[in-house]
Amino acid sequence: MKKNLLTKVVTVLSAATLGAVALTGCGSSNATAIADGQTAKAASPDSSVVYRTVDEIKDSGTINIGVFSDKSPFGYVDENGNYAGYDVYFAERIGQDLGVKINYVSTEAANRIEYLQTGKVDIILANFTVTEERAQEVDFALPYMNVALGVVSPSDAVLSSLDDVKAEDEIIVISGTTAETYLEKNYPDIKLQKYDAYAEAKTAFENGNAIAWANDNTEVIAFAIENEGFTVGIPSLGDADTIAPAVTKGNESLLTWLNEEIEAIGAENFFHADYEATLLDTYGADYENTLVVEGGKVQ
Amino acid sequence: MDIEVIRSYIPLYNEALLLTFKIGMLGILTAFIIGLSGAAALYFKVPVIGKILTAYIELFRNTPLLVQLFFIYFALPKLGIRISAQTCGIMGLGLIGGAYMIETMRSGLESIDIIQSESALSLGMSKGQVFWNIILPQAISISIPGIMANVIFLLKETSVFSTISLMDLMFTAKDLIGMYAKTIECLFLLVVYYLIMLLPVSILGSVVERRVRYAGFGD
Repeated sequence: MKKNLLTKVVTVLSAATLGAVALTGCGSSNATAIADGQTAKAASPDSSVVYRTVDEIKDSGTINIGVFSDKSPFGYVDENGNYAGYDVYFAERIGQDLGVKINYVSTEAANRIEYLQTGKVDIILANFTVTEERAQEVDFALPYMNVALGVVSPSDAVLSSLDDVKAEDEIIVISGTTAETYLEKNYPDIKLQKYDAYAEAKTAFENGNAIAWANDNTEVIAFAIENEGFTVGIPSLGDADTIAPAVTKGNESLLTWLNEEIEAIGAENFFHADYEATLLDTYGADYENTLVVEGGKVQ
Repeated sequence: MDIEVIRSYIPLYNEALLLTFKIGMLGILTAFIIGLSGAAALYFKVPVIGKILTAYIELFRNTPLLVQLFFIYFALPKLGIRISAQTCGIMGLGLIGGAYMIETMRSGLESIDIIQSESALSLGMSKGQVFWNIILPQAISISIPGIMANVIFLLKETSVFSTISLMDLMFTAKDLIGMYAKTIECLFLLVVYYLIMLLPVSILGSVVERRVRYAGFGD
């Protein structure tokens, strides 16, 4: 009964607000553009384009690239306050080849799509796993890394199968990651403890707030190597995916440029050099060929 | 805006609303109790406690709730004190709210003319009787606008709970956006639900204010 009443109240209020939005929309074209979202963009590409083409970026002299600031060793801020990591190494090369300065924008997993949709960044280079759902909202360029999911747990209570998770157990995930979507879809009964940033999820996991942490396997492997007392009980889960740069949906010119760039620098084995500069310390040489995708071609 | 999407998200938002409201209300109750007892202690100038309360008020009013939650949720476990996310949320709200409530109620208590308590004492009433029957009712009525402002402030502060993994309204919206990228629908529902939660509180506040406005002596 109570829920029904609540639902009714919501519907009425929604309708009222929708009406109000529609009314104010007559006076201001901006409001309707926001309300109609995708359709408005498709209907009048000239007035509501949020992305910048390669020429516009070159003219402005700066490119905005969204990276993680707390996901070592892929995108993080080092002790000198500079961005560093596997993603950033690639970003630096993009800036160099475009001949523009880079403005790094720190992003969280959950707002990567929004940042592109609102034009806050030109490219997202934040360990962005290619998925069907995401591909409907943004355009992915060629991949530059392989990834799957993994689950890490304390060494004295290693979780080696998700079927062993008991009803009262919780697993930590980061909001907006593929691990979250995968578990919501395939294991709806497992209770998830969600955090919106890597740093917080890691601290909570170290504090023992949950029995395990599910994330990209690259991330959990790095965590187990860096922190004593943790073991990756499930090293590979779900499908093998790839990680690629993403641009705003419809930004053909930047997408083409990125694809050509990735193919071109593949000839000089750029991503292997990237791995050796940024990931070797964490993963050792063993993972080089499993992780790196060179020239956009998945082996 | 896709009405089907909105409809499918409503159950999740209902859940978040109930959680936000529950933690909010328990936090506000805690804050009210701290506020009332703290203000009384300050009013009676209890020696050591007064100093401690002043330190507490300054500490909690001058640090953001986010920082306090971080401390309670992430730092205390390192010292061996483990508190669940919900309790942590209630504690955080209760402590920051308590600091504000003390100040609000203290100013209410101090606004009652000293002549009233002197007269009552000279009539033979005990200190306790004077406080409960004469000073406090008037002080509360004077503090009501401030208390209601604190209540709404505290309910809105719940939006930082995402840090400690509580699926409140704000985090539910952010989480859904992260997974399905239906930004407009999610943000729209977020505004609607905050209104559902806060408008009644606001209205209730002005009703209460009107009812108790004439509690003052001699008005």
